[in-house]
Amino acid sequence: METIDISIFSLSLVFLLLIIPVLMSSVYKLNMIKSMVYSVARMSVQLFLIGIFLKYLFLWNNALINIAWLFVMILVAVFSAIGSSSIKTGKVLLPVLISFSAATFIILLYLNIFVIRLDRIFDARYLIVLGGMLLGNSLRGNIVGIDSFYKNIRKDSKRYLYSLSLGASQHEAYLPYLRESVQLALKPTIAAMATMGIVALPGMMTGTILGGADPQLAIKYQIMIMIAILVSTIISVLLNIIMTLKVCFTKYGTLRNDIFTK
Amino acid sequence: MIKFDKISLSFDGKEIFSGLDLEVGAGEKVVLSGRSGIGKSSLFGLVLGFVEPDSGSVFFEGVRVDEKSVWDLRRTVSYIDQDVSAGYGKVSDWLSFVSDFKANQGLDFGTERIFELMDLFGMKHELLDKSVSELSGGERQRIAIIVSQLLNRKVYLLDEVTSALDKVLKPKVAAFFMENPDWTVISVSHDPVWLESGNVKVFDLEAMEWKR
Repeated sequence: METIDISIFSLSLVFLLLIIPVLMSSVYKLNMIKSMVYSVARMSVQLFLIGIFLKYLFLWNNALINIAWLFVMILVAVFSAIGSSSIKTGKVLLPVLISFSAATFIILLYLNIFVIRLDRIFDARYLIVLGGMLLGNSLRGNIVGIDSFYKNIRKDSKRYLYSLSLGASQHEAYLPYLRESVQLALKPTIAAMATMGIVALPGMMTGTILGGADPQLAIKYQIMIMIAILVSTIISVLLNIIMTLKVCFTKYGTLRNDIFTK
Repeated sequence: MIKFDKISLSFDGKEIFSGLDLEVGAGEKVVLSGRSGIGKSSLFGLVLGFVEPDSGSVFFEGVRVDEKSVWDLRRTVSYIDQDVSAGYGKVSDWLSFVSDFKANQGLDFGTERIFELMDLFGMKHELLDKSVSELSGGERQRIAIIVSQLLNRKVYLLDEVTSALDKVLKPKVAAFFMENPDWTVISVSHDPVWLESGNVKVFDLEAMEWKR
């Protein structure tokens, strides 16, 4: 079974749908037309370019190039994660980069070597596609995780310092905030898993089925990717917090004020 | 016991202390006076290493407070902050959170001891099941005092700890701290009850001199 091609003309019909949100925005003054048009345009151009790029990436299928590209993806994810948080990029770039890379690589290698049993573990189709799914899905959790951890300690600084004065080690004092942030970061992933298949047909499954695969195979991939997302998110969220502690706290165990953008 | 040696400190360009010298001996009871905003709370922050001075040093029992010594100091000195931001969850959860710190292992956080202290400060035992956020200011202050007693410490930094207490409790709590000969107490308070004990010294932070 082949996937039915969408011609350029057909694709333009999709853009026609955008008239609806534009109309709604102008009627209700949602003030969203500009940002919507900008984002749609950006998405289209980015995807168009990546389409060409991936074509060659799959064609060459060179392990080094694949790894390099994965690293670029990680880098973009890291900048986006820190940029959306209230922490200054320069301060935490290196530790966050290490955490993201470790979490993504460990899980990808595990999947490719033990689960999918690839002959070429750096095969572009698996490394790039699965890596993209892991990064894309753990990104939000990571933003929430690192942001809420430091923000809550800052907001709660009196209580945090009070814990220190009661004899807590730095670890004991930040533990309640760590728990809260990790729970908050993983909540959406855990909730999404519980309703998966019934409420929403997940992305990977949709893709695999549209690509002509048997639904039985599609669900196996979906289960694999969901568990991988859960595990890589918890690894990266925890590592992100633990690895940034050193730069974000003073040796007195107090939070540095100059790590925040605002 | 506690010595501030030529401390200078400023926040956002605003000078709080310049060249502050102050020494409090073991067993002394000191009340800090001066208008609010003069940096009384910062003074405690300096001792506990929450605030680092621009210049000068704080010494505790002859040891300079730095990033290493401060951790032991925090296990020796009891600090009760102004608005007592004590706690997560229920009062009993907060108590067990504190008793679980490695440094507090071996201290008696038993129910009997807690009830005894609650009786002493006129608190109902049922309060243990209340959430910390539901407590009144006065109740939070007393919980913080009870925690300080459970920790069994001998040096106290008290920041307006009677501000939310009633007329009966104010002098009782003040006397509780000021009349124990073994304790070293520095209290920040506008309340005259703290001056009632005979051996209390008063340091005026505005004039930077002893008043009594």
